[in-house]
Amino acid sequence: MLRRVVLQTFRQGLAQSFFKRNAASLSESAVTQHPIETSEEAGAKSGSKQKNGDESGNTVVVAPPEFRFMYPEFLPDPTMERRNKLKEKLERMDMLQRRSIIEIPEFYTGSIMAVTVADSNSPNKFACFVGICIQRGGSGLQAWFILRNVVDRQGVEILYEMYCPLIQKIEVLRLERRLDESLLYLRDALPEYSTFPFEMEAERRLNNSVVPINPIKVKLRPRPWLERWERQNLQGVEDLNLPQRYYDRAKEVAKPWEKYDLMLQYRKTIPAEEQEKIYAEVHSQLQQQDLKRKIKRRRGPSSEQ
Amino acid sequence: MNQADLSKLVSALRIAVKPKPRLFASPEGPAGRLRKLKATVTALVKYERIELNYPRAEEAQGYAERLISDAIRNGDCHKHTMEMADYWLDEKQLIHKLFKVLVPRYKEYNSSYTKLVLGPKTYPGYYAGTAILELKGNPFPALQPATQNYHYWLHNVLLDEAKREFRVAKAESNTNLSEPVASKN
Repeated sequence: MLRRVVLQTFRQGLAQSFFKRNAASLSESAVTQHPIETSEEAGAKSGSKQKNGDESGNTVVVAPPEFRFMYPEFLPDPTMERRNKLKEKLERMDMLQRRSIIEIPEFYTGSIMAVTVADSNSPNKFACFVGICIQRGGSGLQAWFILRNVVDRQGVEILYEMYCPLIQKIEVLRLERRLDESLLYLRDALPEYSTFPFEMEAERRLNNSVVPINPIKVKLRPRPWLERWERQNLQGVEDLNLPQRYYDRAKEVAKPWEKYDLMLQYRKTIPAEEQEKIYAEVHSQLQQQDLKRKIKRRRGPSSEQ
Repeated sequence: MNQADLSKLVSALRIAVKPKPRLFASPEGPAGRLRKLKATVTALVKYERIELNYPRAEEAQGYAERLISDAIRNGDCHKHTMEMADYWLDEKQLIHKLFKVLVPRYKEYNSSYTKLVLGPKTYPGYYAGTAILELKGNPFPALQPATQNYHYWLHNVLLDEAKREFRVAKAESNTNLSEPVASKN
């Protein structure tokens, strides 16, 4: 009676993916003792490896917790139907290979960047664009970011795929963060908030360990807008000054229960244990590349002299 | 392709998680779904073993595991975890039970914290019947026997004896292989 067989019909791939997830987690015999703090800000950009002991006494290499903010594209797409450990591992190898050739610096939404791309149609064979990063997304080799600038009073946005081989150089001119993760509202903001000169030079960071948060509140143009910004809980815009009926309707269509939906959050995230494994695999190579570039930069001007 | 959400750190759940959630249509819509699951999770934490229908049991299992794993990872001084516990547990003394009783109980566990056992179907047909959802380590007698294999069962006795004979025969054959060389000299 208690051992009734229940017919469950799901696709083979689905069954494999979640049974494997179950099996993998059950086979972990050592519970990690490294307490990861839930940090919503990028912490110190520390270069130190943290070594923790597991139960057998061997040192386990663990990356610093800030890595997940610095290199978010190394985490796979959380959609369960598309998870494939082998594909993700191969993708990470390819990403590291590309990073060994070109420097893809740490940046966040709100940073001002300059990207040089190989362009066969331009006279110099290179095309350069400077802009503010308004959004970033994608995982693995498909990671992308959008740069926005206003050129000759025309707003221009370009989506760059970070690992595209046509990209020659990615330079961060000003490294900072904003109050929101997505700055799409700059499309409806006054143009001065999106204008950056193409001749802008890289600014030196005052404090190398902390990424500053720019608390600017942007002024939007009068309506009509591209999206209903009053429904999005934006921190980085000034008071929208809309009639009360907009806010009432926003309350009607809001989904306040989603904040408490624990399984929805779970399906959108990669669990901490998996994140640790991924970054432990990857961080030593990333640090080596970083170090080599620093040495090259220091030697470069001195060797020229 | 989506980028994983970085704002919260969650522990890996040790149960099978299906890719899509069940919708549980109700007149209140998605809010009603969470309200009913809230009642189930509260009952589970309160009674530690409940009998209900299988679909809701499976959904509630996920939420219960998430709540307990968050409580273990973050503790009771963590604002977000306390908000979640406050939402999911309707009776407020159960929040105390979660942090003071369940967290110490499950801190060293390497397996899931809940167990879902299939229950009786009261009428024949192709539908998911009832299920019994329980927290592990509860004070009630076990639903299923602890071990399935007993060394004194006849077939186990015969198998153990056969294995022993095989090992002995193999050891003898190994010594026979080495002996002829020595005996020739």
